[in-house]
Amino acid sequence: MNINRQFILILLASFLMPSYGVISPAVAQGQKAPGASEVGKGLYEDKCAHCHGKEGAGDGSAAENLLPRPRDFTKGLYKIRSTENGQLPTDQDLFDIISNGMPGSSMPGWDGVLSTDERWQLVAHIKTFYEDFEDASPRLINLSGKVTYSEDSVAKGRELYKQLECNACHGEFGRGDGTSAPDLTDDWGFRTWPADLWQKWNFRGGAATEDIFKRFIGGIAGSPMPSFVSSFRVGLTDGESARMTELETKMDEDILSDSEQGEYEGIEEKLYAFEDIMLKVEEGEELASEEQAQLSTALKPILEKSWHIANYVKSLGPEVQPEPASGDKVLRSQYRLEALPGMNDEAWNEIEEASYFPLVGQVVIEPRQFNPSIDSVAAKSFYNDNEIVFLFGWHDRTKTLPQEDEETGETVEDAIAVQFPVKVPKGPMDAKPYFIWGDRRPVYLWHWNVAAPEKVTEMNAKGINQATVQASQTEMEVEGVYEDGQYQLWVKRSLVTGDKNDLKFEPGVFVPIAFSVWDGSNGDVKTKRAISTWYTFILDPVPSNKRFVYPPIVALISVGILFGLKGSVRRRGNANIT
Amino acid sequence: MKTQVVLILALSIAFIDHGECVTNAGPVGGDEVVESLVFPASYKATSVTDGGTIVGVVKFEGDVPKVKKLEITKDVKVCGKTDKHDESIVIGEENALQNTIVYLMDISTGADFPQDAKKKYEIDQNGCQFTPHVTLLPVGQQLTMLNNDRIMHNIHIFSETNKAYNKAQPKSRRKMRLPKVKKAEGPVPIKCDVHGWMKGWLAHIPHPYFAVSNENGKYKIENIPAGTYKLAYWQEVCGTNNDAPLSVTVQAGGVVTQDLTLTLK
Repeated sequence: MNINRQFILILLASFLMPSYGVISPAVAQGQKAPGASEVGKGLYEDKCAHCHGKEGAGDGSAAENLLPRPRDFTKGLYKIRSTENGQLPTDQDLFDIISNGMPGSSMPGWDGVLSTDERWQLVAHIKTFYEDFEDASPRLINLSGKVTYSEDSVAKGRELYKQLECNACHGEFGRGDGTSAPDLTDDWGFRTWPADLWQKWNFRGGAATEDIFKRFIGGIAGSPMPSFVSSFRVGLTDGESARMTELETKMDEDILSDSEQGEYEGIEEKLYAFEDIMLKVEEGEELASEEQAQLSTALKPILEKSWHIANYVKSLGPEVQPEPASGDKVLRSQYRLEALPGMNDEAWNEIEEASYFPLVGQVVIEPRQFNPSIDSVAAKSFYNDNEIVFLFGWHDRTKTLPQEDEETGETVEDAIAVQFPVKVPKGPMDAKPYFIWGDRRPVYLWHWNVAAPEKVTEMNAKGINQATVQASQTEMEVEGVYEDGQYQLWVKRSLVTGDKNDLKFEPGVFVPIAFSVWDGSNGDVKTKRAISTWYTFILDPVPSNKRFVYPPIVALISVGILFGLKGSVRRRGNANIT
Repeated sequence: MKTQVVLILALSIAFIDHGECVTNAGPVGGDEVVESLVFPASYKATSVTDGGTIVGVVKFEGDVPKVKKLEITKDVKVCGKTDKHDESIVIGEENALQNTIVYLMDISTGADFPQDAKKKYEIDQNGCQFTPHVTLLPVGQQLTMLNNDRIMHNIHIFSETNKAYNKAQPKSRRKMRLPKVKKAEGPVPIKCDVHGWMKGWLAHIPHPYFAVSNENGKYKIENIPAGTYKLAYWQEVCGTNNDAPLSVTVQAGGVVTQDLTLTLK
């Protein structure tokens, strides 16, 4: 076609292209929602308004008990976006959240319940709650240049994590236990927590490397998580940046010479020149093609570093949520001939995967916990001819020694109770005690609290609020430690205690096990806590040496009989020949 | 004579505004409505010759509230070097009330902002607090955040009219410039999440007739075209007098004194 036509088509196409981000030419923005309609409104009022409120202000009748709260759409603050800091989400972003839900929160995924069309109608309606959506052309985060996952990238990411002080909120090892963590609130003043980077299945926007990258570059609007894109000295080489830091140190010590001052200002000017270009983009200005090219080049190393950080986060903890300890994943206590390992013994690494016990909030009886802060308990176990040892672990962002809860005035404290039935059910049809501390079938509890870390108190319970401390306490070895966002509790007891109110541990028997965990900083006390349902553990029976004896004997006898038969048949056969 | 004295006293009392203070406890951006500045529907900048001036002292009346010492929960070496106190209501000598914004609510033509290319609008993070506590930023001007603490801070600005902003400013970024905004707004809270006690205020102002009272409670608004205007104030804890601004008349080249007294209920 002729030049003019081409030109016009390109011009038209450029109006359809979304504006490019700090980073580069746009990638596909995804689908656009249709115009708002009565259909979307009707769907919204039916499915969404109970949490999000009729006018989208996050004040539906169900909102009160939820944390995180349902989103208030009227502020235009959206956590999960493919777009940069300060930008609105794309329509595709909204569609994806509606379809997939937000793990770790009460927002369900509507894929499977609502059709694709219906979900797009909802996107259109939700946009009506914030008028800036009308002429929005949000800038996308550039996802090209992704760095493949590798040990090397993870190591670089770990260094950057330290440099950028991510530990302030996320903790030294990423379990959400940073020193700033206890005071964080979202934009509406509600309590919020920095993500536990090991429990990626709870990431609101998903745990794919791209998802993590987007949160880092764009920040999480409405929350304390900032964008880190300006954290790097854009446009400076590593050498220039190192020199800048050197000169700054001299500046602090007042030993900067005049020529060094000039040198510093030169480097600063270069940094400012690039920052100016980035600011132009943020202010919605057009960039000259030369500026575009300069910025692109300057941002490459920054984006690469950001991918390293995403890969580091990806390396923490399991890829997906582990399966709970039932079926073929029951907790298997391993037999050892020797003495059982202490808390820090290498032997624990012989068990590759700890068993996973997910927790939920206790909501059956007051006081209730609608928003538990502890995700799960992990466990490993060994036993020998005389004793059994368990190593329990759970993530808790804070260590809470006994203190008065501000809101209720109660004394709260971190604690855990491991629950077994006193009498093991004989088979799957034999009823278990009620999972929250038993009923007329009593349970046996090991109660541990952080104020007394070397002790486990044996208790029995016949119902939710009916636990009593056992009169005679078995001697057990106990060690409880809190470090970097996690508790580890090591407990050793003899297999048999002779106390009829204690559980007797026997090899080859499937035993129900359940947990109650209290996080003092979350107001947990008495029945307000996180609990699990019954799962199962077993002392893995030792394969007997008899397996080397009986089968060969049986085999020999069988072969012997066969030969005998063969012989007698032949003789008989011979006798019949005439 | 007596009548004259009584008359003068009565008139002077009329000139002193009594504001009401409501303690604004609660998290930043929480449920309470934080009152805002009121801006004119439009503003035209022209040249002003022989402008007038309004000066005054903002004072606090009543039982001086006990100043809360802030709990420094981290980076104690940097943040805890000196004691930090809640800056939401700072009362100085002779009950001078600092950090109160005083401004003309309804002026629609007047001077442009002083054209000073060298003027830099900066907020410093020094000793883990925002200095100044209340900052006036003309719309379209650039704000620079200084990080003289050389530890991780994040700049979290709770804008509603303008784009929300939350960027990390680690120790490697001693000066970080912010994008210019297009709309008048504020004051909006500015907060560091890493250091939860750090809080300041930022107002994006559309015209120059704004002032912030200093440690002596003094404020000055200059270069005002002759006329009668509504004078309003904003204080973090005491709120505003938006529903009952003061009427002030400015003569060409003249100086009017308008003191303000805010009280705690």
